Amino acid sequence: MKVAVCVKQVVTREWQLRVNDAKTWIRDQDASFELNEPDAYALEEALRLKEKHGGEVIVCSAGPARAAQVIREALARGADRAVHVESDALVSADANAVADALAAAIRDEQVDLVLTGLQSDDQGFGQVGVVLAEKLGMPHATIIMDVQIDAQSLRVKRELEGGWFQWLALPLPAVLTIQSGINQLRYATLKGIMGAKKKEIKKIAAPASATGLQKITSVYVPTKGKRTEMIAGGPADAAKELVKRLREEARAL
Amino acid sequence: MDRESLEVDVLIVGGGPAGMAAALRLAQLQKEKGGEPLAIAVLEKAREAGAHMLSGAVLDPSALRDLVPDFKEKGAPLATEVHRDAVYFLTRGRKFKFPITPPPFANHGNYVISLNRFVKWLGGLVEAEGIDIFTGFSATDILFEQQGKDAAVIGIRTGDRGIGRHGEKKSTFEPGVDIRAKVTILCDGVRGNVTKSLVRQLGLDDGRLPQTYAIGIKELWEVPKDRVAPGSVTHTLGYPLKMEEFGGGFIYAMPEGLLSIGFVSGLDYRDPMFDPHVVFQHFKRHPFVASLLEGGQMVRYGAKALPEGGWHTIPRLYSTGVLIAGDAGAFVNSIRLKGIHLAMRTGMLAAETAFDAIRAGDVSAAALKAYEDRINAGPVRRELYPVRNVHQSFGHGMLAGVGYSGLSLVTGGWWLRDPMPAHGGWERMETFAEYYSEGRPDPDAPANPVKIDRQLTFDRLTNVHYSGTRHAEDQPSHLVVHDTDICRTRCREEYGNPCTRFCPANVYEMVDAGDGTRKLQINASNCVHCKTCDIMDPYQIIDWMPPEGGGGPQYEGM
Amino acid sequence: MILVIAEQREGRLNRATLETIAAAQSTGIPVKTVVLGSDVAGVASGLASADVAEVVVVEDAALAEYTADGYVQALEALIGAEQPDLVFLPHTYQTRDFAPALAARLKRPLITDCVAVRGSAQPITYVRPIFQGKLQAEVVAEGPGPHFATFQIGAFRADAMKAGSAAAPVRSAKVSIDASKIRQKPEAPFKEAKQAVDLSQAERIVAVGRGIKGQEHLQLAQQLAQAMGAELAASRPICDAGWLPMDRQIGSSGQTVAPRLYVALGISGAIQHLVGMKGSRTIVAINKDSEAPIFEIADYGIVGDLFEVVPAIIAELNR
Repeated sequence: MKVAVCVKQVVTREWQLRVNDAKTWIRDQDASFELNEPDAYALEEALRLKEKHGGEVIVCSAGPARAAQVIREALARGADRAVHVESDALVSADANAVADALAAAIRDEQVDLVLTGLQSDDQGFGQVGVVLAEKLGMPHATIIMDVQIDAQSLRVKRELEGGWFQWLALPLPAVLTIQSGINQLRYATLKGIMGAKKKEIKKIAAPASATGLQKITSVYVPTKGKRTEMIAGGPADAAKELVKRLREEARAL
Repeated sequence: MDRESLEVDVLIVGGGPAGMAAALRLAQLQKEKGGEPLAIAVLEKAREAGAHMLSGAVLDPSALRDLVPDFKEKGAPLATEVHRDAVYFLTRGRKFKFPITPPPFANHGNYVISLNRFVKWLGGLVEAEGIDIFTGFSATDILFEQQGKDAAVIGIRTGDRGIGRHGEKKSTFEPGVDIRAKVTILCDGVRGNVTKSLVRQLGLDDGRLPQTYAIGIKELWEVPKDRVAPGSVTHTLGYPLKMEEFGGGFIYAMPEGLLSIGFVSGLDYRDPMFDPHVVFQHFKRHPFVASLLEGGQMVRYGAKALPEGGWHTIPRLYSTGVLIAGDAGAFVNSIRLKGIHLAMRTGMLAAETAFDAIRAGDVSAAALKAYEDRINAGPVRRELYPVRNVHQSFGHGMLAGVGYSGLSLVTGGWWLRDPMPAHGGWERMETFAEYYSEGRPDPDAPANPVKIDRQLTFDRLTNVHYSGTRHAEDQPSHLVVHDTDICRTRCREEYGNPCTRFCPANVYEMVDAGDGTRKLQINASNCVHCKTCDIMDPYQIIDWMPPEGGGGPQYEGM
Repeated sequence: MILVIAEQREGRLNRATLETIAAAQSTGIPVKTVVLGSDVAGVASGLASADVAEVVVVEDAALAEYTADGYVQALEALIGAEQPDLVFLPHTYQTRDFAPALAARLKRPLITDCVAVRGSAQPITYVRPIFQGKLQAEVVAEGPGPHFATFQIGAFRADAMKAGSAAAPVRSAKVSIDASKIRQKPEAPFKEAKQAVDLSQAERIVAVGRGIKGQEHLQLAQQLAQAMGAELAASRPICDAGWLPMDRQIGSSGQTVAPRLYVALGISGAIQHLVGMKGSRTIVAINKDSEAPIFEIADYGIVGDLFEVVPAIIAELNR
């Protein structure tokens, strides 16, 4: 079976976030980057499915040239080949533009399954997988904890709120967004890293039609509008005042 | 699970300036001389090249010119040329400029750089040559053939991955890889764990002076752009150190208001309450320094040890199948405060030696001795020999050190006793009873407290956050303290647990054991890989082992 | 007109719907709401008390069980009929499953996880968290409407929703649903004890730090959490000591959260902890040390002994 996995390169969690001069994104010149963690779980799931059912894992990424870093990492972990939709404009693009780009990568590949992470650690839209399914004309299911494939049928376990779950069946080909933490991420082996250099990375340009439908007009550090209210008094008085404020002022209770 | 194994011709352990230079030089020799292509691999424990690189730094470009003559065209990230040099003597409130910059501190023709960026760039050149840099792989064991002093090094074993915090194998467990090589070039840096182990096993330091070190603590600051001219290099002596203590401050200005500021403290201090991190905070609060940082923002923090001992502490650098280069071999000019060019130079010489040996089919110690011959015949000895006793002279106090250093510029390093005798820095630490005859200080309170305002001065924990340090949490502590009972009893009594002071990353804490005593708590995931604990512990019971590959600081711009 | 898509399960309304209506009402633009399902008359009449122009009901056997395809089909048709300018939904597991597909089907923008909405005429500005709440972004939709937006749970208060002076009219809308085009075949939902706690979904959190002094005192924090309807969490030292499992850890080596209320008990506020909770809407800090950095980012602070203050708060809450 052929599985496509979509991965994104994001700045590392430790990178000190500072807003760029135009206030439309962060300063990421010379930043440290890594594979978006939710996507790592999707990749791991794809590799496990390949181990179980045979076939091929194609890793896809839509992003600037530097995104090759995470593509190579995915290849080193075991993906067979890659498609890189290269475009600088995709760095802070919306889900629609990203999904358009990924659809261009996947459309002609005749895949059985497309896996994505739940959302990216930077934009956090949580949309790309679902929008991609729509653009590819495939059914989808989200927040998936378990994937069972049997002959030509697909049965997945979906997470709902509050500790509830649900199994559902859908036909192949399909798109699934994978919940984080459902598996243990494997390490890339030395042989894997060496072999990654020989694997194909097909580069394609972002389709001209990859348009954004929303725009970031401003990015800023959320500041506390109010200053700290220190509540004085003994324990009983302070407690009374605090609960009152939380109920009436902050409306947090 | 089967252990992976790999065979190469040359294995380079450590992807710093020495390792990268060695790899690049091998690629060049390959092209020049042709023949059967060599299989070359570089092992680097950091997640990416340059991530663990930290230095002031002022680069002497001599080795770079030889290695990459067209370095400018190739985009070497040299932030700025040095335009101004100054040395100050500081007292608590004042500064006194040295009227003439002492020749070793004259940096005309040198560059202020970020070592992290520089090594990243070198790594790019190495990869462009088709050489694999295996990042995220630590080297833990040496593979030997035969045993004893004539043992031949046949490669390295990397660290296991996927071990849980209680030592259990997780489902992702991968045993370390055995990488066999005809020649292994060890470039694992200051107090490198592999070199330390090799030196011990083969007695490579027989007849040498014990190695001495210093710790460098550094911050990167963003200050108003027009405050300090880029390319201005400042060094300080004196305050906050006492005359008996070795070290000094540095302030290097780069373009766009980026200031590299730090303090180096010799790891041979006598006062068990000495705290290099506190000393650095006092340094920043000096009116001169504070005025430079006013209104600025600290953006990165880090620390690393430096080898200071010089020529007479360099171990034997070869044995069958192995060579040692860079900081691991103690190639630092402690009077000029420079080691990057020497790391690159020795890396290149090691590469040349390894190349010839492999082509000739002879990697025996006798053949590899040619490495030391090359070092002796060229610029490395020419530079290091005349200053061979400088650091040791500081062992007699700052005046003696400055005096001898000045003298050595004229005399070429001569002294009545050559080598000038010295002890391992950890041996010089005195006990409370010896140093504090007037009354025991409280080991849990700083001896020389400084106000922490988290604007100019910081506590260790806050600082560590700015080092970008990350380790996989579910792994055993990589810091092996062989007898934690000593911590609770003897050490607390004798030295007051100096590890809680010399570690710049809040790794070691003495916490309430619940029964009125204290016990050692190791916050291993804070570790910035500086090696100070391995060096300075007065009982020498701490072994720094590499954590699971990929973990450690993220020294962007350092 | 803003169309608010209500969420219900088995005839019970998800309160987040009321928050979304409040968000819509805050713009001053007229609001309608729609309920989908099968046999949802009860939900609809409950919604009629809100100050909305109309409650639309879309009932069909094919909608008895939620499926992404079913909901997208139904809403596509309804939106075609109603022609709203904006479509608002709560940001729930369910809307994350169908809203992007619906917006993409109509080739319109969807702005997810909004914490605020500004303006009463185009261009409306939406505010959403990025980088796990460490930064905020102001976003505008482009192109023709309708524009879609989902709202973060707790960003608006259900009790801020304005009630109508009279019950709003409830109307049944007929949409034609082709059940054969519904590709998902769901089975019955079931409950399972989850492996790890997902604190990022908690609306309120009570977190403990070193100031709690001992494992035996966690009970006190647990009682406060219960009284507040909050989840229990901790700073790193507590989890390192094994007093609480690692999945309760907040901070740079644990989870990042931004709940409506975060109560920090005996937490000093080391930066490693702060980066994991700074984005919380309301932060309360109780600590003995008036210089503790946590007070710098708290909305409300009490300098005192948590062992005295916390019982007093619990008593006050239970009154």
